[in-house]
Order: sequence, then structure tokens, then C-alpha cells
Amino acid sequence: MMGDRPSPPRAMSSAPTTSPSVDKVDGFSRKSVRKAKQKRSQSSSQFRSQGKPIELTPLPLLKDVPGVEQPELFLKKLQQCCTVFDFMDTLSDLKMKEYKRSTLNELVDYVTVSRGYLTEQAYPEVVKMVSQNIFRTLPPSDSNEFDPEEDEPTLEASWPHLQLVYEFFIRFLESQEFQPSIAKKYIDQKFVLQLLELFDSEDPRERDYLKTVLHRIYGKFLGLRAFIRKQINNIFLRFVYETEHFNGVAELLEILGSIINGFALPLKAEHKQFLVKVLIPLHTVRSLSLFHAQLAYCIVQFLEKDPTLTEPVIRGLLKFWPKTCSQKEVMFLGELEEILDVIEPTQFVKIQEPLFKQISRCVSSPHFQVAERALYYWNNEYIMSLIEENSSVILPIMFSSLYRISKEHWNPAIVALVYNVLKAFMEMNSTLFDELTATYKSDRQREKKKEKEREELWKKLEDLELKRGLRSDGIIPT
Amino acid sequence: MDAVKLMKELRVNYEQEASYLPKETGLSLIESTVQGDSRISAKCRDAKVEDLWSLTSFFDYTTQTFVLAVNLLDRFLAMMRIQPKHLSCISLSCLHMAAKVTEEECNLTPTDELIRIGQCRFTVSDLCRMEKIVAEKLNFKSKAVTALTFLHLYHQITASYCTDKETLSLDKLEAQLKACLCRISFSKAKPSVLALSLLKQEVEAIQSEDMLEITHHIQRHLKQIADSELLLWGERVARCLSEYASPECSKPNHRKLQWIVSRRTAQNLHSHRTAPELPTIPEGCWDESEDDSCEDTMSSGEESLSSSLGSDAEGPYFPLRL
Repeated sequence: MMGDRPSPPRAMSSAPTTSPSVDKVDGFSRKSVRKAKQKRSQSSSQFRSQGKPIELTPLPLLKDVPGVEQPELFLKKLQQCCTVFDFMDTLSDLKMKEYKRSTLNELVDYVTVSRGYLTEQAYPEVVKMVSQNIFRTLPPSDSNEFDPEEDEPTLEASWPHLQLVYEFFIRFLESQEFQPSIAKKYIDQKFVLQLLELFDSEDPRERDYLKTVLHRIYGKFLGLRAFIRKQINNIFLRFVYETEHFNGVAELLEILGSIINGFALPLKAEHKQFLVKVLIPLHTVRSLSLFHAQLAYCIVQFLEKDPTLTEPVIRGLLKFWPKTCSQKEVMFLGELEEILDVIEPTQFVKIQEPLFKQISRCVSSPHFQVAERALYYWNNEYIMSLIEENSSVILPIMFSSLYRISKEHWNPAIVALVYNVLKAFMEMNSTLFDELTATYKSDRQREKKKEKEREELWKKLEDLELKRGLRSDGIIPT
Repeated sequence: MDAVKLMKELRVNYEQEASYLPKETGLSLIESTVQGDSRISAKCRDAKVEDLWSLTSFFDYTTQTFVLAVNLLDRFLAMMRIQPKHLSCISLSCLHMAAKVTEEECNLTPTDELIRIGQCRFTVSDLCRMEKIVAEKLNFKSKAVTALTFLHLYHQITASYCTDKETLSLDKLEAQLKACLCRISFSKAKPSVLALSLLKQEVEAIQSEDMLEITHHIQRHLKQIADSELLLWGERVARCLSEYASPECSKPNHRKLQWIVSRRTAQNLHSHRTAPELPTIPEGCWDESEDDSCEDTMSSGEESLSSSLGSDAEGPYFPLRL
């Protein structure tokens, strides 16, 4: 039509088409006025057939059929469920979609309660049905800069079916009749690889199911374990060093947590490598907050298995200590406290110096949450007992920061906490404390004196210059 | 100040010190009180004095302020029957009163800050009232003769008589005095004697003959300091100081301090301590010898073991049902 503005291109940019002045506040475009996006077509739920309406012949219910016919009916239903529907088009094939949904529901129940239904022929059909439904190209993100911490995730449109497929698969894997020796022909490395790719789904519900699925597969298929670990390794390394994008890190870490928990002692070299080369570097990623809880859990589990890993772990964390992101610093402090909760005294002694140097810096941070979190360590009984045993080393490191911020920090709550810490130190080791106080005070006196001398020197120079200038009748000599 | 003047001043203070002593009977009563009573016990008082020391140090007050505060506190406690719940208020009042006469105005911490840091429950007006009461009862104007007074005088005397090659550290002596004052028993000592005992043991520690001579001189000058008295207190001081200097840490044992953190920090504390949802998958020693394409280097001896066990691994280790 003439005169109309052309429709905006379906590009991946988030540039608004309304006038710029509305959208920009202080030069930053406000998210709230980003115009409502047209729902992107999800190729995942793309209707794959030629456009004809799908017709599935309704089959009888399994419970209505004699037991001997059930296995075959089961297979037929599985085959029917291989048909995939387009959920982007909300009006198409409503009757058939509902039929598939109720069939899937039926299959879920059937797998849960039945006995003797799992024939050898069922395995490939099950795997085929699941593959057809879940393996797909994931829908593209709403915008290039999808921020997992802030933006709403794109939810999977075909979830009504997909959820039941996942549910079904899990019950199948957990079924009493399930035999990995047969299944391993169909659930192979290729299957696992495709499964792992799905972990990048933006839909958290899907990732939750995938987590359970992969966990069960790892548990049941011993032959796939090394492969799975290797692939997860690759995903993480790519995430850390190349893309910094992957939505399923938390879920994978959760699975790893249960694996680490089950490690046999002594730990294999491969696992120790994983800790140092993958888990520690994971701390450097910008979106750490999304999976930090799971990551910290993995780290602590490792240390509970093998305390000799404490030193490399803590040194690693100190090396990657956040320098400009306070939110991350607070996370690191939380994780460090969890590590200290389980640390052995002999290990503690090895790293106490670099550790408390960092804590001393945190305590003096102008960001009050960082300072607060670090000071709160002194409320931890076990950490306190470790500090007490080594107060002659730790107190000198902490002293000057604590003393300085007790006078200089802007936040009164921090000052009150510092009092608690200083009081604790005072009671722990009075002699050392008095010595340090005396040294600190005399150092400060000396500094003050130097400053005063410097100021006086400058003043003298100023006077000199003035005198020189005034001598020759106002002409300043060059 | 020359030596003669110093000695004169010494005499003057010596004559006045008795009026600044806490009542001995009162102190004994406190010492004999069992903790948990409705009266102040020695432990109570000692803990409170240690708190005062913490606050003194924290607010950068001088030792003079501390010693004066303790003097006021002891005199008041020895005179009045006090309920333990008022002890905080009284001790803080003494500290503030002492600070007002000793510290420079710009260094004086305001009372509300004093109360906040001291984690006390009473108000600024409570503190003011208590100050008036204490000042009235003790007839306190601005000064008191304390062990510190003597310590300073002794130090100056020693310095004026001695050559520069040996110096007595006043800071160290002050720290030691502070350690002694944290025990109520030392409040019974005459300040001149206490200070002299401290001086003597420090002089003995650095083994200076000259200084020892000076301490004797001082003792003779203050005629009423008997040898026995000096000896008695000397022993007690020595014991106290050896405990103070011992490398053994005294665990913080009284009143747990309040740790107030902001809401956001409090929310994040212990948020990681969630029980894992996924059950543990034990690593078996027969792992991974199943698949041909697996990359683990397992010794071939494991091969037969796994095949006999079967690869099912339908162990009891995780649920068959969700």
C-alpha cells in the first residue's frame, strides 16, 4: 500500500521503530519500551509435512485391549507419536494435537505401572519416538544480547507434547524392566551428543528434564560415561574460552555434582585435571551468578574427597579473584567460606597468607556488601578456631586494614562489625595486638610528621619565589 | 622537668593518692561474689573492663582515659550496690567522663556512637543521667591520681637520671599496667606501689643496674612503701604479666557479640547449603571398559570383571522411580 511504512525486517536486531527520543533515557534504550516482538517462528516446532492436515487413526486404549495384544499396540502408539505438530500455528490440527497429547499421557502411565510390556522391538521404537520429538534445532533467541540474568527466556511452544515425551522417557529409563544391554544399541554416543546440545535450550523446564535424563543415562550406561564426561568438558571449555554462551551450565554442573560425589578414592588424574582446567576457570565467566551455587557445590565435593586439592583450588580462586565486579566478589567470598568450613588445619596453614591478604583487601572494600561479607567470616566458629591457632601470622596481615577502616569507612554498620573483629583479635592475642597497635600508631605519627615537613618545605619555597620575584621590581626572573 | 621538681611532684601525688582509692571492703565484696548473683562479681567487672579497653583502643583514646575510667568505675562499684544489668551503662559513663577530661574535643566520640559500637541497649539520655550520678557520688571534677600518674613520674625521673644508652619504654609499661587493671585484685593496690612494682620488674628484665638504683631511691623517697608490700605486689604483677605474654591464646569467652548484617547479605548467607537433588552415582572400578570407543585407559584385566558383572548397573544406588 502506498504511503505506509515498510514492515520492519525480521532481522535479529532489537532496534525500535518508534522515534529515538521516546526510547532513550540518558542515551540508553529502555527495555520497557522495546516494542513488542512478533513471535519468532520457531523452526523447532516447524510443521514438517507438506501442509496437508495430519490425520492419525485413533487407536484403542491400552487398558481396553487384552494383555497379549498390548505390546503391539504399544509399538503402534509409539509410531503415531513420532508425528510432530506445529505449535506456532495455534489453530491448526487441534484435534490431532489433543489426540497425541492424550496418547502420550497414556504411554507415560503405561510405562510406569506395567509389567512385561518391554520387548526387544520396543527399544528402537521408543528411542526413535523420543528422538523425533526432542531432537531439533533450538528456537533462536529473541535478541542477540539475550541476558540470562535479566531477560525472560523463550519458552518452548510445543511444551504440551514435549513435556510428556520427556516424562515418558524418564519413566522408561527407570522402569524395572529396562535393560541397558539392549538399550545401548540405540542410546549411543550420537544420541548423547544430540541430547547435550539440547541443554542450550532457553526453556528451564526442558533443561530440568534433560538433567534427569542425562543423569539416568550416565548412571545406567557405564560405557558412555567417559564419553559424556569428555563432551561436557568440551562444552564447558568452549563456554569459558570461546562463546561465554550456554544456557545449561547449571544443570550440567548439578549432574557433575552427583558424579563427583561418587568418585572412588584415590581420585583419578583425569578428574583432578578437570577440576583445575575446567571448574576453576568457570569462575571467570560473566554470568557466574546463574550457576555459582552448583559450581561451588562441585568444588566443595572435590575437596571433601581429596583435601590435598585445597591448595591448588584456593590459589586458583585467588588468581581469578574479581577485580571490578562486586557481585562476583561476594559470590567468591561465599564459596571461600564454604571451602573453609571443610578445610583441614594442615591445609589451612599452607594457604593462610595469600588468603588473608585477599580477605584484608575485601574487608577494606568501599563496597559495603563485600566488606560485610568478608567481616562475617569472624562469626564462623570453625574459621575462628583456625584463626586463633594461627593468630600470630594472620593478625599482622589483617591489622592495618582493620584499623584503618575503623576510622575511615563510610558505612557505620561496617565500622560496628570491624569492632567485633578487632575485639576478637584483642582477646586472642593481646600482646601481639598491643605491639601492632603501637607500631601502627608510631608509623602514622611518622607519616604525619613527614607530611608536615613537606608542607613547610613547599611553603618555604613559595616564600622564596615571592621574595625573588619582588626583588627586581616586579619582573619575575626566568 | 628537673629531677628535684619531679621528686616534689611525686611526693604531692603520693600524699593525695589515698583519696582516690576505691574502698577496700567494697572491692573485697565484689571479689567474693559468686557469678549469677544479683550483685556484681569479679568476673563481671573484669569482663567489663576488658570491654572498656577494647573501646579505648578502637576510638583511639589514650591509656590515661582508660586508667581514669577504670578508677572511676572501681570507686563507684566499691561504694554502691549495683545490679549487673546496669554495669554497661556505668562503665560507659565512666569512659565518657574520663574521655571528656583527657581527650581533645575533636577526638571525643559522641555518646550515640559509643553506645552503638558498645552494642548497649540504653539511650543517650540514660548515659547522661548516669554520668551525673557517678560524678556526684565520687565528687569527681577533673582529675584523679592513678597508677598511671606514678608511672609517668617514675619514667620521667628515670629518664632524667639515666644516660641515653638505656631507655625504658613507656608504651610497654602502659600496656602492662592495662593488663593488670583488667583484674580487680590490682585495684586494691596503692597506685604508687603498683606502678613501682611494674617499674621494678621491667628494670629487672632489662637488667639495668642504674635503673634499679633509681627504683630504690624512689622507694626510699616515698617512705611508707615497705619492702614486703613491694614484694607482694611484685609477685602478683609478675604472674599477671607472664599470663599476658604467654603465646597461648585466651579464647574469647564472654558475651557473644552481635553480628548485624544488611538484609541482602543475610539472604545470601548459607544459600548454597541446599541438599543436592540428584542422587550420587558411584564411580565403579569396572567403569568404562564396556564401550570400545571409550577413551579411558583401563588395564585389560578389568575386561573380564565387567562382563561377568554385566553392564546393567541397575544398582540400588538410584531410584527406579522418580
